[in-house]
Amino acid sequence: MSSSEGKLTEDEIALYDRQIRLWGLAAQTNMRSAKVLLINIGSIGTEITKNIVLSGIGHFHIMDASKVSEEDLGSQFFLSCEDVGKYKIDAVRERIMDLNPRVELQFDIESVDSINEDFFKNFDLIIATELNREQMLKINQITRKFNIPLYLSGSNGLFSYIFVDLIEFKSEDEKLKSIKATETGYISTHREIVHVETRQDDEDPEKVFEKITTRNTYKHFGEMLLSPTLEKKLTKRQLKRVSNVLPMTLTLLSQNCSNLDEFKNETIKMCDRLTINPKSLSGDYLEQFYNQIGLEFSPVSAIIGGAIAQDVVNILGKRSSPLNNFIVFDGITLDMPIFEL
Amino acid sequence: MARQSNIVRIVGNDSYEKLRSTKCLLVGAGGIGSELLKDLILMEFGEIHIVDLDTIDLSNLNRQFLFRQRDIKQPKSTTAVKAVQHFNNSKLVPYQGNIMDSTQFPLHWFGQFDVIFNALDNLAARRYVNKMSQFLSTPLLESGTAGFDGYIQPIIPGKTECFDCTKKETPKTFPVCTIRSTPSQPIHCIVWAKNFLFNQLFNAETNPNLNEEDEEENKDWGTTDLDEINRIRQETNELQELQNIVVSQQENRIHEIIEKLFVHDINKLLLIENLWKTRTEPTPLDITNIQNVSDEPSKKLNLSEIWTINDQVQQLVHVTKKLMKRMPKEQNHIEFDKDDQDTLEFVATTANIRSHIFNIPIKSVFDIKQIAGNIIPAIATTNAIVAGLSSLISLRVLNLLKYAPIKSPTDLNMAFTAKASNLSTNRYLSNPKLAPSSCNCPVCSKVVRGVVSVSSTKYASLTLQNLVDLIKDKYEYTDEISVLDTKNQRLLADFDFDDLLNKTLNDINLTDGTVIMFTDEDEDENGLCHKPLELYLDITETLPTGLDIRLPELEIPLVKAITSEEATAEEEEELSVEKNLTEENIIVLDEEEPSTKKRKIELEDEQAAKKTKSEVEDVIELD
Ligand SMILES: [Zn+2]
Repeated sequence: MSSSEGKLTEDEIALYDRQIRLWGLAAQTNMRSAKVLLINIGSIGTEITKNIVLSGIGHFHIMDASKVSEEDLGSQFFLSCEDVGKYKIDAVRERIMDLNPRVELQFDIESVDSINEDFFKNFDLIIATELNREQMLKINQITRKFNIPLYLSGSNGLFSYIFVDLIEFKSEDEKLKSIKATETGYISTHREIVHVETRQDDEDPEKVFEKITTRNTYKHFGEMLLSPTLEKKLTKRQLKRVSNVLPMTLTLLSQNCSNLDEFKNETIKMCDRLTINPKSLSGDYLEQFYNQIGLEFSPVSAIIGGAIAQDVVNILGKRSSPLNNFIVFDGITLDMPIFEL
Repeated sequence: MARQSNIVRIVGNDSYEKLRSTKCLLVGAGGIGSELLKDLILMEFGEIHIVDLDTIDLSNLNRQFLFRQRDIKQPKSTTAVKAVQHFNNSKLVPYQGNIMDSTQFPLHWFGQFDVIFNALDNLAARRYVNKMSQFLSTPLLESGTAGFDGYIQPIIPGKTECFDCTKKETPKTFPVCTIRSTPSQPIHCIVWAKNFLFNQLFNAETNPNLNEEDEEENKDWGTTDLDEINRIRQETNELQELQNIVVSQQENRIHEIIEKLFVHDINKLLLIENLWKTRTEPTPLDITNIQNVSDEPSKKLNLSEIWTINDQVQQLVHVTKKLMKRMPKEQNHIEFDKDDQDTLEFVATTANIRSHIFNIPIKSVFDIKQIAGNIIPAIATTNAIVAGLSSLISLRVLNLLKYAPIKSPTDLNMAFTAKASNLSTNRYLSNPKLAPSSCNCPVCSKVVRGVVSVSSTKYASLTLQNLVDLIKDKYEYTDEISVLDTKNQRLLADFDFDDLLNKTLNDINLTDGTVIMFTDEDEDENGLCHKPLELYLDITETLPTGLDIRLPELEIPLVKAITSEEATAEEEEELSVEKNLTEENIIVLDEEEPSTKKRKIELEDEQAAKKTKSEVEDVIELD
């Protein structure tokens, strides 16, 4: 395996040329020493794996206890029809290893339910997809205990969501200084600017940059489900335009509904808790969403897997402003808002 | 449950059947193209044709996930098709070729597709495919990425904005004097080294004297100081002598080249006092550096670090020798290529030495490669997101989502990466609705387009007069029309030029793929005439039996006639733009991928624009 310490080699610089030009050598070097765990390699997991392994992360560990179903073939490109019935880990292993021989890979046929929690201590970051509510609550408890950043995600056909818990994260962003200087203080309920530094461009002295340090705070998954609200977080106009996908997804994550009517009623209650008007709920959307619960769909996975992988690479390498904390995607309108819940 | 069970539940049985019989064209098998191919296959599109001209390069492998180290130098299109076999369930047809080659890809070939996906990396091909989609009224899914920035735009011909409805950024140019006399940024020195010096020394076809005379009138000197202009001219003449040293491979005279460029020329520049009244004076290179140069580089230099001036000079001597030796083998003509290490290091070291002289920060070879080679950073994630968006919205473009039928094409959304591009903190994507086509767009609004299909037997005997008569008859022109060949703006016929009318189309070089423009020269009593008509000449064997020529079913609206003065003024304007673009003396930044900056600005203005729009609507209501 490649040396995980020290400088990047000329070969590595040539291979990763186009991305080093984006995030710099230091970020690329940081990424090489990171250890990331992926729980479940379904459709979104497949996209995340492709992106993260290509990026040149140091160590990537994939855990999945399922066997390949025929249905999986429709949305998971590491699989082929001969793989049906095999353990998924056995089916995908070779193709992932071939993707980037420089990444240290590990594979486990193991369910998240049967793992000793100390195992998770080994990782700098954990991504889990397609878990049920109890599993998500449990894994988040563990990541909180060991202070590990966590990404959760799942698909519902044309709709999908990402939940992020980085516990507390200081990000550093640089931007051109505008006429009005950036001030320290809270910019939203979860984000506070704690430090601003200015820097003159060494080529063009007219240009002044601000280096802004922001403290991002997060809620754990259970806390978010217990009291999700948008009160005082959005303007009236923004509240009016909130995507239907938000209350539907939160209802799905927090309630067990046995039929469409029940789901409808619970979603209306969720709207109230969020302080959005239930009248904006569309019957078509509810029915469509309900019919697609749990379905994996390749283009949606590409978008969600891309967004997660990009954020993971970012916080491991470059540390500019991370996702915070709940994102939903609507595959019909391509709407993808970010909420602080 | 079968592999298609999810997609069937999402789109329904009828739409699934339609998907299976849909034929897509995917233009590009690179960053976005690899991702799109995977998505389109998993979405169960029936048939996908993939066109790409390129071969695989090492620097592709960080994102083009279908390619491996062992595939380097192989064609992208065929390699991509092989790489997806294990999960493929569609008919795939790869082509290695340039999509703009109308012999390999004539219009009727484009005509077989239900939808076109652009996954291109250059403006010219994007424009070309956009035009084809307009001629055929085939929906086009346009997309692009640059680093963290990405966008997708569905284009419904005749209904929504086309690719050319918004102006695209043109390459950046610099005035001559900034490059030749008063550089103040690293890029000025890089342009000098790459576009001026390198050509003058290593391309024996570049005759400095001729070059200058030619361009004299158009040249943007950026100064009116005659002393300086004369100095620049003289300096160029003297370069001929340096080229002779290179061509005759006099290694022992390399130090003369260095002295001339970095000592003598700088001293001469210092004599023009006007230049230095408001600027810091340059300092000629310390001559002792030059004489102490040893033959071989003393150590292995790191390409991503900043070298000392001594190392720069030493490496310059070293690569100049290597380039000299290459000259006879390469017909005394070497072109700069960012992936040709000798040419890159020559440009990097000369640019850096010049920067040092002018008190400008020095850069690493790695950084100079990016500027000189116009490299756009590219990552897997942005490409994956953009391809996902493009394939997803195609379901609506093809009207396959039963819960979201499209009432109007302007209900469809385009999308931008808002969060990643630092344009928004509360939206990962921004998804404005499509705008109707712009009334000023030269591609989709100012002319009516269509395809005239002719069998090859008919073509052999078809005269221009025959064609004009058919058109007059079909589209109800009253009298005179003028005919123009758009590829070279050649006038073929008008009211006082009828010499060519009796020739066959073949005689006057109107071949397959030619676009012919017909303009109504006769306004009616209300001052109206037919909108200009552009017909694509398609010579084909696929016409129904009994038919040897087919004119498109078009409605050509009557518009206000343009007076000849207006027309000339407009033409001149277009000409002057073109002149600026071809002024080869200074242009550098030929694009690798188009910038999405322009779009960003539009995005920021989106809210404002929407506001204005609704205000306008209010006014209308009040009225
Ligand atoms: Zn247009």
